[in-house]
Amino acid sequence: MDRILNYTVKLRRSRMTKIVRNTLTILFPIMLIGSFAEVLKFTFLTKNGYMARMFGIPYWLPFNNELNWIMGVIFHCTIDMIALYAAYGAAYFTAKEYKKDAARAGAVGLMAFLIISFQPNSAGMPDFSRFLMSEGMLIALVVGYLCSRILVIFGNSQLDRRNQVILPVIIIIILSSLLNFLGIVMIKLEIPTYVASFVMQHTQINALFYVLGMGTLTDLLSWMAVGGPFTNSPTFTDTPSMANLSAALKAGSPWKVPYNFTDTTLFHSFANFGGTGVTLALIIAILIFSKKPRNRNVSKWAIFPAIFNNDYPMMLGIPVLFNPIYLIPFVVAPLINMIIAALFITLRLIPAAVYPVPVGTPGPLIGFIGTNGNWLTLVLGIFLIILDVLIYMPFVRLSDQISTRAGQINEED
Amino acid sequence: MKKIKVWFWIIISVILSVTMVSISLNWSRASVTDLTKLHNSRLSPVIMIPGSSASVDRFDTLVKKLNKNNRNPHSLIKVRVTTDDKLHFSGRLRQGDNEPIIVVGFQNNHDGYDNIKKQARWFNLAFKSLTKQYAFNNFKVIGHSNGGLIYTTFLEKYYASYSSQIKLKQLMTIGSPYNFNEKSVRHKTQMLSDFIKNRDKIPSSLSVYSVAGTETYNSDGLVPLGSVMAGKYIYQGRVKHFTTISVSGSDAQHSDLPQNDQIIDLINRYILDPKQLPKNLQNTNNLDNSPKLK
Repeated sequence: MDRILNYTVKLRRSRMTKIVRNTLTILFPIMLIGSFAEVLKFTFLTKNGYMARMFGIPYWLPFNNELNWIMGVIFHCTIDMIALYAAYGAAYFTAKEYKKDAARAGAVGLMAFLIISFQPNSAGMPDFSRFLMSEGMLIALVVGYLCSRILVIFGNSQLDRRNQVILPVIIIIILSSLLNFLGIVMIKLEIPTYVASFVMQHTQINALFYVLGMGTLTDLLSWMAVGGPFTNSPTFTDTPSMANLSAALKAGSPWKVPYNFTDTTLFHSFANFGGTGVTLALIIAILIFSKKPRNRNVSKWAIFPAIFNNDYPMMLGIPVLFNPIYLIPFVVAPLINMIIAALFITLRLIPAAVYPVPVGTPGPLIGFIGTNGNWLTLVLGIFLIILDVLIYMPFVRLSDQISTRAGQINEED
Repeated sequence: MKKIKVWFWIIISVILSVTMVSISLNWSRASVTDLTKLHNSRLSPVIMIPGSSASVDRFDTLVKKLNKNNRNPHSLIKVRVTTDDKLHFSGRLRQGDNEPIIVVGFQNNHDGYDNIKKQARWFNLAFKSLTKQYAFNNFKVIGHSNGGLIYTTFLEKYYASYSSQIKLKQLMTIGSPYNFNEKSVRHKTQMLSDFIKNRDKIPSSLSVYSVAGTETYNSDGLVPLGSVMAGKYIYQGRVKHFTTISVSGSDAQHSDLPQNDQIIDLINRYILDPKQLPKNLQNTNNLDNSPKLK
């Protein structure tokens, strides 16, 4: 146990980890404000948002459209292009680790990422791949890091000073233009439609394993800052959902529907409380068990967005992203939730969640509204959150221990 | 002190959670009731828009002719939209009638592309209100003259927000001048260009019937045949079926088209739902039978 602890501490102090952690630290305030704006825009001020529906906010709030616009601007320039900042940060902190001109490296990293994701629109205006901008954080980190390393290599070479700066920039521009040309901007995970067709063509039990697998993949990928097969909120427009809804409306109850196991009935209704990885449980676990003021502070800030299933502040603030300690509970907790929920559905204790819910409905209420107010579903949701808090508990304590020990070793240096 | 603070927050969050749960429950019940009503609705109205300079009474003769000899006559509901965006309803849905005819007219019923755009917006207001009142999940439409242009604008600009819930089954335009008074599509009006540009927004499952009146070989006395036929550049290849029909003989003049017997026959055949077979053909024990068969 002690050896694992020491190993993690060592890992924590490696160059790579430092670069990533420092980058995430500068991204945190941007992401936090962005997530507040996103929640306000889509949940409070847009007609099909949860709070908007429940309280009719857009109908009585003065300046609703203006506020909505402002929140939209903030959201699009923060969360929606977070990879941009990541490319800058990664390049900046890499150069800093190697004791080179960090500001220049940051600018070059930013430029390289912009070139890679450039995609002119039909009017000829500059435009950038939305996927890379909003979900390409991993790629941005790699791009920033590599740019910085190229600059460092040239900085240490025997070339004269002018070439030391110009040559690497030329090489980086050529390489990133080539990447752009080769169509890296076309990268897109187009799995959702595939998920829908799989669920429809296979038996219930196959569909169950498939949904569990895809859910786990989604959690794993979001731990690596890449968008997974399941979107962040249920859409209700895919064919199995429509079929379920139509069957339920015909029968007048959700108990007998054709597709019991879909991303909506399992993943969104039970495995996504507070965002991917049951982030709500992590927040509660930290508030109860952690003694680190920094983590407690981040968690308090993250409560508001997490209620409406926005997990960005926790992902970057703690951080959960690329954090080996939290990988296990982040993947296991949602998986256990889905398995237990599937069991309840199979035993016909709860119906499948089929009715559409508004955007940003708080996690445990998705299943509750989706079953038109089945109380056992709500109770099960609350029970699962408690269970998930217990799953997160040892890891929160471990994380505390590691950061204490890392702090001690730092002081010994 | 710290304990009190913790308890304070716990109590606050419990109260908030209970409130949210009860509000959500209420909302969910109401929402499911609405959805069920919509999903199980058997109502399938025919919505008509008259041409320019005509009022909501424009189709009275048409409806009278449709209802002749009909044991289950269509109710006639009229909606007049004034320029201040207000809706004025008259007529009501007869109980047991699943296929009412709804006529939407406008206070500003003038010709011209700008007015058509305004009228399409007004129609959208009326349509939204109708969907709320009558909760239908499918409908059919007929537009006479500029009414057909208003429908085309509506389909390209507004219909997308309803299309997942409310299906438009058939569209019939009668003497609609898609290219205004131009005889040839070599001169495309701004309106026709816009229609063609945005044709992708028209639902692909739609069946469209474009009826032209012909008094002379190339006109119904007011609208050139070429202008009616220009509709194919919008609909053909985009919708499921696109049929053009030209009608001649008596009542084939532009303004007479809505009461043209052939057109009424076409409406009966293509737009209205097939009549349920008279009971005597389904159920031999029924004594109330034969004379009603046409």
